[in-house]
Amino acid sequence: MSDYLATFHTHLSALLSFEALQGRGVTARMMPVPRVLSSSCGTCVRYTAPDDCRDLLDRDCEAVYACRQDGYDCLFTAEDP
Amino acid sequence: MKKSNVLVPVTGLVVGLAALVLVSLGNPGNMGFCIACFERDIAGSLGLHHAAKVQYLRPEIIGLVLGAAAMALAGKEFKARAGSAPALRFVLGGIVMVGALAFLGCPLRMVLRLGGGDGTALAGLAGFVCGILVGVACLKKGFSLGRAYKVKPAEGFVLPGFMLALLVLLLAVPSVLLFSTEGPGASHAPWFIALAAGLVVGALAQKSRLCMAGGIRDAVMFKDFHLLSGFVAIFVVVLIGNLILGRFHPELAVQPVAHHDYLWSFLGMTAAGWGSILLGGCPLRQLILAGEGNGDSAVTVFGMMVGAALAHNFGMAGNADAMTDGAFVAGGVALPGKVGVAVCLVLLGVISYANLYKKEKNQ
Repeated sequence: MSDYLATFHTHLSALLSFEALQGRGVTARMMPVPRVLSSSCGTCVRYTAPDDCRDLLDRDCEAVYACRQDGYDCLFTAEDP
Repeated sequence: MKKSNVLVPVTGLVVGLAALVLVSLGNPGNMGFCIACFERDIAGSLGLHHAAKVQYLRPEIIGLVLGAAAMALAGKEFKARAGSAPALRFVLGGIVMVGALAFLGCPLRMVLRLGGGDGTALAGLAGFVCGILVGVACLKKGFSLGRAYKVKPAEGFVLPGFMLALLVLLLAVPSVLLFSTEGPGASHAPWFIALAAGLVVGALAQKSRLCMAGGIRDAVMFKDFHLLSGFVAIFVVVLIGNLILGRFHPELAVQPVAHHDYLWSFLGMTAAGWGSILLGGCPLRQLILAGEGNGDSAVTVFGMMVGAALAHNFGMAGNADAMTDGAFVAGGVALPGKVGVAVCLVLLGVISYANLYKKEKNQ
């Protein structure tokens, strides 16, 4: 199991992803986006899962990070359409 | 403690100190900063309204946007983005402004008023918290204005460019602007100090994400008190500063640019708090976001300026209490202001409902 953090373009997108993760039994929580990741003051979802569960995240997901003790490794960044 | 955790209270400390200095150098009482009042003054200076006592091209606003833009560019965080319901954001900006001007201050000035002992601002604080709670309930129900998209860089420079143009007008051709000769608009610190204060606070606010509404929102939604620490720091610094400077007057008598209309102060700030949550940030935050390239926030700021102009043209702004020849003259919110705030609250309800997530339509 690893810790992941997903950022989103909207609060609603974070909420939908959070609910989808919880619906699959993934331990998740919503929180403000860490400043080190973005100057936006949006909402992110931090979760613990065997993989990054990308298929459960809403389409307006902005990026997914693997959480380390001292920071974050970017695993995926969505391109703007 | 992490550097990013310290930055918010440090920014609050600097905002508080800057506000104290600006009042000492000429700004109106408890109005070192007021995003609503200052944008209203700018609207007046540009001739968008004709309230003669509130017309001045406030350099603080110019500094806030340009400071944020400079910091965002230096930190490679300037991102031109737009397309998240711009028309609704324009309207919401106007609504926030009508509510704030009924109270006579944005959320930031509300904290400054409290730090000066202005007990009448407690009604505004209660309303602001109430509005935020309603806004948070909307977010939990799935409210969204939709996402923004990457756009051409020129879009991101609209508000910084507009502010630069205002600065040129102020310094090179002030004759085209309107300036108050009496009242709050005539009270101001020297332009270069006001500009410098704005630049410093704008840069720090970009780095720290300081937001009056976001602090309470995060505390309520996530039990995260990080942003709220900036709010508290401003209050503590201003309170201590005013005590030292002899400007702390904890009474309900005449307070600087304030009134005793508690109900409409409460309702005005309810609209401001609710609108700020729907917009994703308080009026200060909108300036900072526009400074770092957010075109939607630039539209919101223009909406706030138009809202300010309408608030004065239609007599919706609050009137300050006054002492005239030793006699107390009560201010307050007149009938047009009460109607305006009520209409704003109804509009907020409609906008909130219309933008809730509809599960069946999206599946």
